[in-house]
Amino acid sequence: MPLEAEQLLINRIRQGEAEAWSDLIGRYEGRLLAYVSRRLQNRSAAEDIVQETFIGFLNSLPNYDSRRRLESYLFSIASHKLTDHLRREGRRPTIPLTAASSTYSDWQLPANQRAASSIARSGERRSIEEHALRDALVSQVERWRKRDDWEKLQCLELIIVRGWANKRAAEQLGLSQQVVASIKHEFVKALTLAVRNQGLPEDVFPELYETE
Amino acid sequence: MTDQYSRSEIEAFLDEALDADQMAAMESSLRDDSLLLDSVSEAISRRDAGIHSLGEIWRRHRISCPSREDLGSFLLEVLPQQQQQYVQFHLETVACRFCQANLEDLKQQHSEGEQDRSVRRKRYFESSAGYLGS
Repeated sequence: MPLEAEQLLINRIRQGEAEAWSDLIGRYEGRLLAYVSRRLQNRSAAEDIVQETFIGFLNSLPNYDSRRRLESYLFSIASHKLTDHLRREGRRPTIPLTAASSTYSDWQLPANQRAASSIARSGERRSIEEHALRDALVSQVERWRKRDDWEKLQCLELIIVRGWANKRAAEQLGLSQQVVASIKHEFVKALTLAVRNQGLPEDVFPELYETE
Repeated sequence: MTDQYSRSEIEAFLDEALDADQMAAMESSLRDDSLLLDSVSEAISRRDAGIHSLGEIWRRHRISCPSREDLGSFLLEVLPQQQQQYVQFHLETVACRFCQANLEDLKQQHSEGEQDRSVRRKRYFESSAGYLGS
């Protein structure tokens, strides 16, 4: 659904229009149920989580950021509800925040990440930074799509989304490590430029300044 | 940092965004792998400190996800060959959980009866409509 249509639908829901709400449920319930069901054998529990997701959406509507795509937002609510369910079931271990106290804590991050922790930034500021980087990423990916440059896109998905090292990505794609390093370098350079052009603090994007 | 999982995969775990099998494997490892537990804690600390991660932003905003229409075309095998291969890569190698869910939903639409869907939608609507405009 185009962004404008999404915003229109959300505005109608904000005004309490039942038909718009029914439309949203009809559009998204199937994919949310498929997302949750992948992790649960119990169909009834999965449907309950989707139900909680929709209620969670309505409760959070006053704070909904219309720059965010609706489907992504619904998936993020579903992921929280699912995580809570898995914790209650004892499947998802609770991560004690003190587990890393002997190595790192909120205030003792690795050197290249320490500066950001000392910068007091509002949620709104973080959101501006995130959306600026999102726009830069979208712009890069759209360029590759238009040129049918699927190899570059695959390469960056492995490196950025999966977090694989250059060597592993090169082996997966049948490319030389040099080619992979070059694709990554070009990509990071473009993003770094976008961050600088928008006057964003560089220390909150440490990956852009790491060398492999 | 653990050798088994990348930093980006650990962040995806926190967002319930890894492939279901990987999620289950990591949950299992966390029970007796203190190194992994430390890595997950570090990831939480980085988030709390306001540090952005490229992988996190890429995933959260579905930067490279094919559209639902493209997934439908993928299912029907009518995309141009290179794009067809790319979507397959995105679903299987990148293992995008959100696109896997969309694809599953599209498949279900063909196999599941309309009545089952209607009953479910009605239940969701009735249980949530009270929160509408509240």
